Amino acid sequence: MTKRTFLAAPLLALLTAGLHAAPADEAMSRLRGAVNEVLGIATKASSKSTLAVSVTPVLRKHISFETMTRRAVGPGWNSFKPDEKAKATQLFSSLVVRTYANKFTPGEQPRVDYKTATSPAAGRVDVPTTLLYQGSRYSVTYRMEQAGGWLITDVVIEGVSMIANYRSQLDSVFKKGGAPAVLTSLQQSVSKQS
Amino acid sequence: MNPKPLLLALTASALASCAVTKAPTAAASAAKSKSGAPKAVLNDAAAKTDELDDYGTGTTVSDPLEKVNRATFWVNDGLYTVLFRPLAKGYEKAFPKFLRTGIDNVFDNAKYPVRVVNCVLQGKFDRAGHETKKFALNTFAGVGGLVRISDKVVDTADIPAEDSGQTFGVWGIPHGPYIVLPLIGPSSARDFVGLAGDYAMNPANYGLYFHDKNGNHDWMYIPPSANTLRSMPGQMKTYDELRKDAVDPYLAVRDAYIQQRNEAVKK
Repeated sequence: MTKRTFLAAPLLALLTAGLHAAPADEAMSRLRGAVNEVLGIATKASSKSTLAVSVTPVLRKHISFETMTRRAVGPGWNSFKPDEKAKATQLFSSLVVRTYANKFTPGEQPRVDYKTATSPAAGRVDVPTTLLYQGSRYSVTYRMEQAGGWLITDVVIEGVSMIANYRSQLDSVFKKGGAPAVLTSLQQSVSKQS
Repeated sequence: MNPKPLLLALTASALASCAVTKAPTAAASAAKSKSGAPKAVLNDAAAKTDELDDYGTGTTVSDPLEKVNRATFWVNDGLYTVLFRPLAKGYEKAFPKFLRTGIDNVFDNAKYPVRVVNCVLQGKFDRAGHETKKFALNTFAGVGGLVRISDKVVDTADIPAEDSGQTFGVWGIPHGPYIVLPLIGPSSARDFVGLAGDYAMNPANYGLYFHDKNGNHDWMYIPPSANTLRSMPGQMKTYDELRKDAVDPYLAVRDAYIQQRNEAVKK
């Protein structure tokens, strides 16, 4: 091995490590900002309904609802017409916002510990966290993807992926009745009293 | 040993051995769909909505007893409304938060044999050591487990809780068919056997093994009943959160249960 390659090897390794670390750092930084914004709102909110209203614009900024809806519906998505896709995304977004907002009790401040982020595929970063809330400890992993900026595409709580869970339900509905059945089911769920 | 848990274990073991069939593939389940339904999903690539989509078809466990399971699910759902939820609310009203936390801690600490035995059976000896340290800390420094001192110590703060169902999973035994148990709720043939093992090992149930000669052993029901009651608020909260925003509550609970158990086996 020449002196030049001897020096170049570790330098290259450092550079490559830097390149790999960058997306994870970017995603982590974006997530921290999003979580801090949400927690700030949750702490100040006086009730669950006001919390849901205040948190909606923040979630819309940090979550890719189109990706979430497409994957929650599953393979059937490709046969949806454009207006059906738009309607499904709108309904599913409402459901996600409500599901997420309901997990917080207004006024209570959870503690979030961030662990080392991983990048299982190009354009994807998983950020594992531990949430200490009301005396209990929960493992929460945020799946983030690059879509003109890092956006949240799934939340995995105690090993349960929200998107996989909806997929198991909506894929089954689609197989029975296609896009109209999916839209009806989503509409019914959104209309249910929380 | 009380013969009931043993009988339970043997019955479930027989069920598990009959149930090694894998979950139906996407193609198979799509082929079964009613006429007029969309085209069948033919392969894994077709199950993707984009390059990063790795969610598969959503079918995670075989459910040959779905009709019976769904019926049991809705009976349970009704019982939770008329019985469990009011009991949980009553318990929360009667006992202040700090006391409920203390009671939870005592029962959780007492469950140490379940966790440590399963750590050993899975070959996780370091974890068994941490569990033992956690038990010693909470029992002696935490006044019989009332205070969870272990939360303040790095290597005992966040130990994944092992149980018999997970041990079977680590040994490579599949779930078998999904089962909804009356009152208890979601399970699988494998986890049902595991549940019997955990029940037998949990000191809260040890009283059930003793009978005095006069047949007067009502006291033995107190610890297991208290354990059931104190766990109700948390279980109802988890169930309600899943059910509330579900499109199909039965599928939502089934999928969440299987995902959570699969993840627990990996930890």
